[in-house]
Amino acid sequence: MNALELRNVTKKFASAAMPAVNDVSLTLRPGEILALVGPSGCGKTTTLRMIAGLERPDSGSLHIKGQVVASREYFTPPEQRGVGMVFQDHALFPHLTVFENVKFGLKGQPAAIARETTQGMLKLVGLENFGERYPHQLSGGERQRVALARALAPRPVLVLMDEPFSSLDADLRHEVREQVRGILKAMSATAVFVTHDQEEALFMGDRLAVFQSGRLEQVGVPEEIFHDSATRFVAEFMGDSDFLPGVVKENGIETELGLIPQKINLPIDSTVEIALRSDDVNFDQANPANALVLARFFRGAYYQYRLRLSSGKLIHAFKPHTKTIQPGTSVHAYLSAGHDLTVFQNGVSVGE
Amino acid sequence: MQIRNTLPQLRSYNISPRLLFAAGLVALFVAIPLGYIFFRAITGGEEVWLRLLQTRIWKLLGNTLLLAVTVTGGATLVGVTMSFLTERTDLPGRNLFRWMLAMPLAIPAYIGGIVHLTLLRPRGGFIPQLLESWFGLPIPTPSPLGFGGAAFILTLFMFPYVYLLSGAAFRSLNASLEEASRTFGRNNWQTLWEVTLPALRPGITAGALLVALDVLAEYGTVALLRYETFSSAIFVQLSGRYDRSAAAVLSGVLIVIAVIILWGELRLQGQARFTQMDSQWRPAPTLPLKKWKVPAFLLVLLVVFSSLLVPVIVLAAWSVQALLDPATLASIMRSGSQTFGNYITNSLWASALAAVIAVLLSLPVALLSVRYPNKLTQAISRFCQVGYAIPGVVIALSLVLIVNRYLPFLYATPLIVVMAYVLRHMPQAIRSSESALNQLSPSMEEASRTLGRTSIQTIFQVILPLIVPGLLAGAGLVFLTSLKELPATLLLRPAGFDTLAVRVWIWASEGFYIQAAPAALLLILASAGPLYFLLRREQIFR
Repeated sequence: MNALELRNVTKKFASAAMPAVNDVSLTLRPGEILALVGPSGCGKTTTLRMIAGLERPDSGSLHIKGQVVASREYFTPPEQRGVGMVFQDHALFPHLTVFENVKFGLKGQPAAIARETTQGMLKLVGLENFGERYPHQLSGGERQRVALARALAPRPVLVLMDEPFSSLDADLRHEVREQVRGILKAMSATAVFVTHDQEEALFMGDRLAVFQSGRLEQVGVPEEIFHDSATRFVAEFMGDSDFLPGVVKENGIETELGLIPQKINLPIDSTVEIALRSDDVNFDQANPANALVLARFFRGAYYQYRLRLSSGKLIHAFKPHTKTIQPGTSVHAYLSAGHDLTVFQNGVSVGE
Repeated sequence: MQIRNTLPQLRSYNISPRLLFAAGLVALFVAIPLGYIFFRAITGGEEVWLRLLQTRIWKLLGNTLLLAVTVTGGATLVGVTMSFLTERTDLPGRNLFRWMLAMPLAIPAYIGGIVHLTLLRPRGGFIPQLLESWFGLPIPTPSPLGFGGAAFILTLFMFPYVYLLSGAAFRSLNASLEEASRTFGRNNWQTLWEVTLPALRPGITAGALLVALDVLAEYGTVALLRYETFSSAIFVQLSGRYDRSAAAVLSGVLIVIAVIILWGELRLQGQARFTQMDSQWRPAPTLPLKKWKVPAFLLVLLVVFSSLLVPVIVLAAWSVQALLDPATLASIMRSGSQTFGNYITNSLWASALAAVIAVLLSLPVALLSVRYPNKLTQAISRFCQVGYAIPGVVIALSLVLIVNRYLPFLYATPLIVVMAYVLRHMPQAIRSSESALNQLSPSMEEASRTLGRTSIQTIFQVILPLIVPGLLAGAGLVFLTSLKELPATLLLRPAGFDTLAVRVWIWASEGFYIQAAPAALLLILASAGPLYFLLRREQIFR
């Protein structure tokens, strides 16, 4: 049975012209972490809030463990859904101690068991000695873990996380997210996680759901999203792709960088776009030159170069940092992917 | 300091009908007296309108507006100057001055007026007598009576509104704003005029409009100094000639003016927030006064002296005099069946009850307007704040008319006085409750809901515990202003129900200043307590 299912869920706010979430369908298996990712305003947070019961969908239905929790006829309020939520600002209750915060969701359980569970949760997040403190006495990372412990303590069927790391500093963020993923996996929790950071989504999610303008663009495991993007938007958003125009020929795709010998099921002379990442492109100083080095960016282990092709199209290429090439140099650029490239027609991926 | 950078999310599920019903009842409670006065004004009869239009209204309108404009201007000038000097310069003793400049809020303007009147009265005043004994002949001194005196006294005791609001605005202004202006080639003074003051305009204007509303409502001072405004004219119609139709007509005109000002003030409320502190905030550096240090110091001292020290010292001296004289003391402790203890307890319980009721009534209105912001809920919230614009005399008139006709069992009970306090001062409670709720992130409630609490449980277990300080502040404000309230209490109180404010007024208007002093001093001290607590919450006193 699916832990969570969304069927054709749509939500439009009165103040907006376009639906915030438009006909989204999703499923989530028990124990899975799903990352909802997309630029701000894409509908990912609204989707999460509908799952929590903080928003009501206009149409479509939501099911948790096979039970309908929101549809045209039914609406289960958040307190009856058995979900745990970690908020962007953590939303720890400032008038309660860390211990009381974590225990807050254990109402109705015998006091001794609630205490024990709370202590266990604090131990799990490494804060067993912090129970008597108040939220304002904690660091950002500690607050984050209290918020997680509080959400997990009632053993929710579903853990929802709304950009939980966005309030943390960059170096702390990497540390905390690794801990959080570890804790979620240790508890075999089913989780939905919202982020606008593609790298974080790739790290946290067992699967990713990429949103744009209220629509679900693609759902898949990280590798699939990254290497086999379903749409031009996903390729661009998830992996900083450049797009090289091409024309389908009998034995491949004709592009400015030569013929790509890649079979494609399209009529001859169709125009397409090929997604190129920096590691798919190389260049040397051989003749004939077909590109100009515009800029060089130091990336630590390698350089990234920005090239302008004769047509004016900009592409990027990685090169080892052992040799530097000055901007203004004319070079010969070529493809060095070694694998099939993703090809788009009208923004949608066209496989072989 | 952490500030939410996202607006509260609009809740999409429906407004709770229970909450809407409760808030609607509060709005109705406010609406009835206001609507009734309008109704009576319009149906006041053609001949009353004609008579008043020919005789009274234009003169009163001129008097009232002239006083309102003058005092608002004066209070703005004094208030902004004082807040600039204490917040932004190296004025000596500014930490102490900051408190002393706010404390006149504990002194009702009519008590200040009484003190200044006895000092400056043309014949027999303390200062003219002193001058005469020094120089051997009468020296003409400015009279505190009439327009000049009323404007002077009201400016002196109302400038703290502007002072506090502009002080908070000065304080919250980020240093980077002025630094940016400096990098564009403006010097300190150009920056003050071109950047700082314009940026503070919403805060300053909000304070100025509060002053204007207070001037419209002021009764004690203008009556004492014999300057006729709408408020004092209505009072006379009501208490002396007993012409309720005329009083209703005058009230209708007065409310229209006040509502226009209140409308401007409510519109500014939102904008006044644009000076809010964010996490990047740094205090602006203080400007060195250099050769202006002594004049500036003397100026602030003069303001503090006349608005705080003179009234308190004079009242203290008179009090000592009264307590040392057995006959005076006896007449203070007992007049008729009433003892001094009665005045105190009457003042305290009526004001405290009003504070509790006002805060309770403000809760559904504030919850509704903060958590479900839309046109309807905003309208309800603003409507409930209309009490700001209804002077005490008008509220008294309206309650007299309604209670006489429909609720005779309430007539001449202290409860009607409490009701007037609640109606008039509830806006302060609503604002405090709203601002307390606004500081509470909506995610706090959502967290409680996802942790298994219903919306009602969430209110009691999460929201209320967190907004208690804000509610107490609202209650403190209502208590403070009710304690000082004079005209509605005078008109509505049952025989024998004297509060401290009423007693001070009666003694003083009979010329027994010495007798009035202990009660006046006690009133000021009782107000100073809650005021201190309220000021401690303000940014500039942290």
